[in-house]
Amino acid sequence: MPDNNIPEENKSFSRSSKKTYSLVEIVKAPTTMVDKGPEDTIFAFPIVAILELMLAIGSTLVLVIFSLLKDAPLEELANPLITTDPAKAPWYFMGLQEMLEHMHPTLAGIILPALAVGFLISIPYIDYSREGAGVWFTSKRGKSIVGWTALYTLVAMTGFVLVDNAFPPRELLRDMLPNLVTQSLIPGAVMTFLVVLPLLVLWRSKEGIKNAREVMLVLFTVLFITAVVLTLTGFLFRGPGFELYWPWAMPNGYNPMDGL
Amino acid sequence: MKKLKDFIVNSRVWRSFFRHGWPDNPLDRSLIMTTNVFFHLHPVRVNKRSIKALYSFGLGVITTIMFVVLSITGILEMFYYVPSVDTAYFDIITLQTQVPFGQLLRNMHRWSAHLMVLTAVLHMVRVFYTGAYKRPREFNWVVGVVLLILTLGASFTGYLLPWDQLAFWAITVGTSVAGYEPMFGKLIQKLLLGGAEVGQASLTRFYGLHVMVIPGLLLLIISLHLWRVRKDGGLAANEVKDEIETEVENA
Ligand code: HEM
Repeated sequence: MPDNNIPEENKSFSRSSKKTYSLVEIVKAPTTMVDKGPEDTIFAFPIVAILELMLAIGSTLVLVIFSLLKDAPLEELANPLITTDPAKAPWYFMGLQEMLEHMHPTLAGIILPALAVGFLISIPYIDYSREGAGVWFTSKRGKSIVGWTALYTLVAMTGFVLVDNAFPPRELLRDMLPNLVTQSLIPGAVMTFLVVLPLLVLWRSKEGIKNAREVMLVLFTVLFITAVVLTLTGFLFRGPGFELYWPWAMPNGYNPMDGL
Repeated sequence: MKKLKDFIVNSRVWRSFFRHGWPDNPLDRSLIMTTNVFFHLHPVRVNKRSIKALYSFGLGVITTIMFVVLSITGILEMFYYVPSVDTAYFDIITLQTQVPFGQLLRNMHRWSAHLMVLTAVLHMVRVFYTGAYKRPREFNWVVGVVLLILTLGASFTGYLLPWDQLAFWAITVGTSVAGYEPMFGKLIQKLLLGGAEVGQASLTRFYGLHVMVIPGLLLLIISLHLWRVRKDGGLAANEVKDEIETEVENA
């Protein structure tokens, strides 16, 4: 019964003339699946169950096959009197151990990791707009921001490791400046500069920074790629004496992969 | 045959186990999701986008599966392992050489531990780049960060247990980082190691953390995490192209 006198918003809800209506409150809350066209959705059963079962069988199968091919390492009995060279932490802490080579332990082992975790936790509270949720990189522009930042970080952090390794300020300037400056302030300032630089570039670019999401895209990408570069450097490229080598040209028959 | 099947499926015993009919129709497909403890973690209907392989890569699910694999293989390893500096190393050798499938068991536990760290990190990266931490999922993101730290802790504490040179020096190096912190560093290091150096006290503590405390917390918090995914409306991809909500946002 189409009725042209009813205003658009009342079409699904015809008012009774015997009652009065008023708007009580607008609740700002997520409406999970309400108001969504049924055409985009499908029954979760059985497709989701099948997908999850496939993932379970698939990943367990890969794991079993890999475990049949490669044995877990076991070296000699622990001996506190014989130091291994190099002595490395598990691979996921090699980023931290690598940083210890470049700056004061409090900065590398405590302050920067605490900042990283604090940053991770605060991401959703700084960037709270719901726009673009559920879309990879939010937009085309987001994608290119991430791409350029990733490339930049790869070059900048690799450069930092190599330059600092070749000309370590804490050794070259040891007699001129106090340790606080050479071990903490200089590397801290360099790190801050490297992290902030891509943000400055984005800010001064033609379109500027459009929203909090773009800031997060830059910062998270810097953090992630930095972690990857430092972890790989520490895990693959550090050999005896914790010196830099090519992974395939390690002296003393040392193989970084044996430490997994 | 059909009669027998109907008899079983309609029996009071069967009906007490499964409170829905065969899920080939909308009603039973809804009921199976709401009455089964494993399925009720999923919504009854999902957006097609959210189950695309290239959307989530299934990384959260794989991480969960790794946790299950680690629990099973870990319990089996416990049957053969005593956390004493005098025996631990030789228990591992016995496990590898005397116990049927012992080497495979140990390999699976070790490789899946590495894989779980890797997939948890990649899962976080995926969640970040898809913007799935945004409202109302902020809390679940924080829960995720806690899970990542616990996963690292589980892996790190397990690293010491074989009590070989690799284990000993990795934990010595790893815990020395904590010792650098000027105020509480030495205290934390001492608490973890049970002394100034890695020894029996450290092995006891790491063992307790590795087989009880951290897996217990992980089980609890992974449950919380998955429940929150459900409560927040499934994956964020479910919400894409939702003009009505965007309007409410902008109002
Ligand atoms: C032990 C580690 C973890 C397990 C077992 C786990 C498990 C899961 C599972 C099964 C899902 C469903 C979607 C999917 O498969 O991608 C999920 C979603 C989610 N996870 Fe995790 N997760 C873990 C760690 C993390 C971490 C480290 C973060 C972030 C810091 C995180 C944040 C989230 C968020 C925000 C969602 C909702 C995603 C969406 O709506 O698209 N999780 N998690």
